[in-house]
Amino acid sequence: PCLTFISIALSLFVTTDPQLQQFIEIESQKQRFQQLVHQMTEVCWEKCMDKPGPKLDSRTEVCFVNCVERFIDTSQFILNRLEQTQRSRGTFSETMTD
Amino acid sequence: ACLKENWNANAEAAELQRLIAVEQQKAQFQAQVHNFTDVCWDKCMDKPSSKLDSRTETCLVSCLERFIDTTLTITNRFTQMVQKGAH
Repeated sequence: PCLTFISIALSLFVTTDPQLQQFIEIESQKQRFQQLVHQMTEVCWEKCMDKPGPKLDSRTEVCFVNCVERFIDTSQFILNRLEQTQRSRGTFSETMTD
Repeated sequence: ACLKENWNANAEAAELQRLIAVEQQKAQFQAQVHNFTDVCWDKCMDKPSSKLDSRTETCLVSCLERFIDTTLTITNRFTQMVQKGAH
């Protein structure tokens, strides 16, 4: 059967091979996790680390825990709010994505 | 065999375009959420505590709305400037 270039491109989106599907999903997850760790470290270092001392004290550790959890809460809060806004005032998304 | 191939290519191209458009929209929305989260986290979060208090939530709502207002204002202003400059 002749394979068009487009068939090959399409197969990037749609694969029926379950092993390949699983592999792609696991690798994507790993990448997302690593990106998240990197981002969280940067964000929470800014918020929680004053002058770095000779060790990571418990106050800073507690702050890191709170920081990660509050950042996730904040993300979720903003996501919910944006979805709400999009449902009532759909035009802003056109402005923002230009 | 390859005459049918041409018809398939057109249908596949349309489908591919549609899938790409959907993914682009998803990516754009996600990027927006991330951008807002970064901006408003900086403005509204002092030292992270054990929960998201109502003062912070209020600040987040204000932050979102004022950021959108700001973007609209600047867009309008720039549009005006470009239109004036075109004369």
